[in-house]
Amino acid sequence: MKAFTNANARDLAHAVTLIRQGRDSRNTVAIAGGGSDLLGMMKERLVTPDVVVHLRTAKNLDQVKQTKDGVTIGGLITLDALSSHPLVRKHYAVLAEAAEGVATPQIRNVATLAGNVNQRPWCWYYRNGFKCLKNGGTTCYSVNGENQFHAIFGGGPSYIVHPSDTAPALVALDATFRIVGVDGERRVPAAEFFVLPTVDPARENVLKDGELLAEIVLPARSAFSRSTYHKVLDREAWTHAVVSAAVALDINKDTVRSARVVLGGVAPIPWRLPEVEKLLTGQRLTTDLAARAGEAAVAGARPLAKNGYKVPLTRNMVKRTLEGFVRTA
Amino acid sequence: MRKRKISRRRFLEGTGAALTAAAAAPALRAQQRPGSAGGATAAPAAAVPRTTINLTINGASKRVEVEDRWTLAEALRDHLGLTGTKIGCDRGECGACTVLVDGKPTYSCSQLAVWMDGRSVQTVEGLLKNGELSALQRSFVAHDAPQCGFCTSGQLMSATALLNATPHPTPEQARVAMTGNICRCSNYNHYVAATVAAANGTHSPQRGERFASASSPVAAMTVIGHDTSRIDAVERVSGKAKYTADVTLPGMLYARVLRSPHPHARVRAIDLSKARALPGVKAIVTHENCDVVWGAGSISGGAQYNDEIKKITKHRRYAFNNPVRFVGDPVAAVAAVDRHIAEEALQLIAVDYETLPFVLDPEEALKADAVKIWPEGNLSPTARNEFQPIGQKRGSVEDGFKASDKVFEERFSTSFVHNAQMEPRSAVAQWEGDKLTVYTPTGGVANCRTDMARDLGIAPEKVRIVCQYMGGNFGNKNQNQDADLIAAMLAKQAGAPVKLELSRKEDFIGMHGRWPTAQYYKVGVKSDGTLQAIQMRGYSGMGPYRKNSGNIAGVEIYQCPNIETSISPVYTNRTVSGNFRGPEFPQGFFGIQSMMDDVAAKMNIDPVEFILRNMTRKAGDQTPYTNYSLEECIRKGAEAFEWKKRWRAVPGSDPGPIKRGAGVSFMAFRAGLGRSSAVVRVTGQGKYSLHVGVTDVGAGAKTTMGLIGAEALGIPLSQLEVVWGDTDRCPYSVGESGSRTTIMTGYAVIEAVKDLKKQIAEKGLPKGDEVLIGTATPNPTLQGKVRSTFGAHFVEVEVDTELGRAHVTKYLAVHDCGRIINPLTARSQILGGAQMGIGMALHEDLLYDRRSGAPLTPGYYGARISTHRDAPDIDIIFIESDDGLGPFGAKSMGESSKVPAPAAVANAVANAIGVRMKDLPITRDKIVAAVAARTGARS
Repeated sequence: MKAFTNANARDLAHAVTLIRQGRDSRNTVAIAGGGSDLLGMMKERLVTPDVVVHLRTAKNLDQVKQTKDGVTIGGLITLDALSSHPLVRKHYAVLAEAAEGVATPQIRNVATLAGNVNQRPWCWYYRNGFKCLKNGGTTCYSVNGENQFHAIFGGGPSYIVHPSDTAPALVALDATFRIVGVDGERRVPAAEFFVLPTVDPARENVLKDGELLAEIVLPARSAFSRSTYHKVLDREAWTHAVVSAAVALDINKDTVRSARVVLGGVAPIPWRLPEVEKLLTGQRLTTDLAARAGEAAVAGARPLAKNGYKVPLTRNMVKRTLEGFVRTA
Repeated sequence: MRKRKISRRRFLEGTGAALTAAAAAPALRAQQRPGSAGGATAAPAAAVPRTTINLTINGASKRVEVEDRWTLAEALRDHLGLTGTKIGCDRGECGACTVLVDGKPTYSCSQLAVWMDGRSVQTVEGLLKNGELSALQRSFVAHDAPQCGFCTSGQLMSATALLNATPHPTPEQARVAMTGNICRCSNYNHYVAATVAAANGTHSPQRGERFASASSPVAAMTVIGHDTSRIDAVERVSGKAKYTADVTLPGMLYARVLRSPHPHARVRAIDLSKARALPGVKAIVTHENCDVVWGAGSISGGAQYNDEIKKITKHRRYAFNNPVRFVGDPVAAVAAVDRHIAEEALQLIAVDYETLPFVLDPEEALKADAVKIWPEGNLSPTARNEFQPIGQKRGSVEDGFKASDKVFEERFSTSFVHNAQMEPRSAVAQWEGDKLTVYTPTGGVANCRTDMARDLGIAPEKVRIVCQYMGGNFGNKNQNQDADLIAAMLAKQAGAPVKLELSRKEDFIGMHGRWPTAQYYKVGVKSDGTLQAIQMRGYSGMGPYRKNSGNIAGVEIYQCPNIETSISPVYTNRTVSGNFRGPEFPQGFFGIQSMMDDVAAKMNIDPVEFILRNMTRKAGDQTPYTNYSLEECIRKGAEAFEWKKRWRAVPGSDPGPIKRGAGVSFMAFRAGLGRSSAVVRVTGQGKYSLHVGVTDVGAGAKTTMGLIGAEALGIPLSQLEVVWGDTDRCPYSVGESGSRTTIMTGYAVIEAVKDLKKQIAEKGLPKGDEVLIGTATPNPTLQGKVRSTFGAHFVEVEVDTELGRAHVTKYLAVHDCGRIINPLTARSQILGGAQMGIGMALHEDLLYDRRSGAPLTPGYYGARISTHRDAPDIDIIFIESDDGLGPFGAKSMGESSKVPAPAAVANAVANAIGVRMKDLPITRDKIVAAVAARTGARS
């Protein structure tokens, strides 16, 4: 790794101060939560910061707090702590399940929720140092290249798929993100946090340089009584989702009052399916409805040369995930 | 935490505007940016930010000054002497570096040491209590959990954390907890069994049954044939085993290699001026100052490299080649005072490349308009420069097809699968005068020495090769590596010892893996299923250098009057192909046994019946085997596996989206005799020692040799010291490749003991300072018979046809490996081979970008190497035989367990889903696409 200075943040305000100082002295700054992925990218020299602002020394950024409006989760909570938190497990199963399935125990023990949400793409062109749209270049190499794992929705000009498991879960839960940075603080709904490559092909979200994802606010637990996260991988562990589905339902008896269906692994952002949600709303959840939802899920898919299999896979994934609720409803 | 003052002062001197703020926040310091765009100026070493931290390591408080950029693994290994923690990938993909941080398993390669301030770190060295092994460590020993041992420290730490939280875990809990710890020896079943049993102090039941073969039954022996823990098991579970990267010599430098980013390019110029100017750089080698040929890197035709071949071979591979012919071909190497400076220096080397056209696919490479990678074209020649395919012919396939009632044709393909042994290639080279010592992970110290001497033009006596422990082999380690040569040349130039460690990515793209193949079969059968003719045309992608044969095996295990094969080893601009556990077998057996399974299915014949009708009975249908147990393997296996119940007479007929099916494949694999050496000594004090040139790649050769020696001597194993892995202390050994060590060196041990016993009979036991030394270099041969090991694998899979997941629900491996010397380690060998075969069948691949020629999936993550959760339970049956040859009738084992596995898995998938999967790996995308195409599903 290129030499750099580590700067431990005492708290959120100090982290912002450190970032500002770094920028003011014209140093490039990287922010480390768990740091696993950052260090990998630094070793590959995909990023070469002068200063690494280390957040895990900061106090109280990893708490789960219940408020009258819902639950607030510190961005620095580890995926391990998140997935085993009783409150999260009980009322936000989709988030606990998403966190539980990330990578390996060693990574979940250090990786943070904010880091998981903000991780850079795992597209093999980007990770292997190709000068692609994500890496300061002007081309997405996957379009005419090896695109087995790339986007079937929302692609262009970049066709990466968003790698996070927790991101689709947070979109499904109508979460709100609290962003803190050198220019102050703002709140953004999860669904608006992630941006398509048509908006900015170099980035995956609205975070600006010098900003960090401090906190995630989940609405009150009554919103969705049932939720789950399913994903399929290319081996049984430690790869990113080929396709995943985050589903949150408000079910009364077996009638869907309201639904969120958000896919991972198929688009440059967590891919919400409003048409499917509409189809489900007000209906009795049956295997037939699940099958129709699967069909509706892939209505707008535009596969590339080598990822056509993701269309039936996505259809089946949505169907099967909903069928799980039929059986247990 | 306390910042080192000098850095702080430099920061204060070096910045203006930020000064005040920095005084308040001393952690932030500006610095120069060595190696940044343009590579302006080199930073003096003192400018690298350092921080003093306080932490607890294995219960003791430590105050340590670290560079901010050091990883925890680096700090532990390089600066705190705790080398039990291994670095397998340095990217958080393999788990060899796992330590406990505040009790939680953590990848120490993916955490900065500076982040450990105020925290508690436990390493494998901390598991010992008063020098005693923990219950878990003892259980690891008892269950033979470590094979090569390189992943063991990490497995121990994950399992320790599990047991702390869950004292009595289920196997599934163990698998989940240890998922982040890859074991490429694939001894997953033993790791899980050991962990589950640890808390109870019990022993998990082993899934290995032994039956005496009716063909040549075995008689019981005293030392041999009983579960015996390895003689070095304690070292392997306590972090004490010293692997090459753990060797540190005074004044040692660290080396890194710059590799070609282009698949084919001419190097016009290399500008080293900035790299040479970087303080701390001590030596640089490129093709301009080094014309050493790496002989073993391009042994044409798989022949053992020798002086004659060195002279006549047209396609020489140098340590540094120009033109470079694949992404990863070495261009330059640097030795510097620390690893970071060596890495910085690589950033400062400017190479002017003239890129050339390239070709990746072997079939395309043979087309007339393809770029010629070598002047003569892309069909790779033999060692004697003969440009022709490999082939065999018997009878007339034309006549055979005419005599057939049905003729079938299919194409199958297999992918490049990397050996991916847990220990990345490394070498430590030291010159003392004109004598070179190289510490290196090699399975053949003797052959490595010969190769090094020949390549460097020095006498073999001037070369010493040492390998005490190595982290896995799986092929092409019974010779020297270019890493050995590069380290030696840097050490020579620098006048100091040099350690070279390859990164995991370099290991994937710079070394070798199994050659990918395309296989075309045409098979003629009578209506009763009797084979009449087999015609096969194959293409093997060898990369730009022919490191090994490129052969495709399999046709010869069928009884058939008419056969004809033609296999072309083809140059491509991809990573070099080489030997990997049964070099030409698993891919060839996948092709032909998929083909035959398909023929049987199309003719409505049970594949077990088809095999019994058509399998080999004599080698080449002519020469009898020394014993023949193949039919026993198949019949016994089919019965134990409940074949009739699990196999679907109508493939894909299970109702619903989740379908099961069964597959079978069989195997005959070489177990020939050959030359090796051993020395056995007894002193006047009655101490026995056995000197063998084995290194023990993970299969347990040291222990196996010890058991054979102790049996022959009539003493317990504990009374025999085994000396290994050092050319200055051990005689020639054939080297751990080709599953030969037990047979050849094991037989030499028996002969050496005979020699010693003869001397004792003549002179009496030695007294006082006397020593008697028995030696032997037998070279037994076999006339008129062929020695072979036999086996059959039976697999049941469950395939989710909607989600494309295939996983193994039952696996039975039946093997006749002759006499089993040590059932404990023998089971590990079978488990590992079968698991690797499953990985090859279902997910492993090295994918290339066709436009740039760059590999896209190097590493454990990208190549989808199997994890604990991918590893099913494997049942084992040994059909034990003694043909009176080799050491007490022992035959080969290590490779044969992988050979039938991919075919059996693929056949099971076809039986489950009713679609033949013809291209490995059988990944989710292929299953979903195949099922969708068959059902005409909307997509």
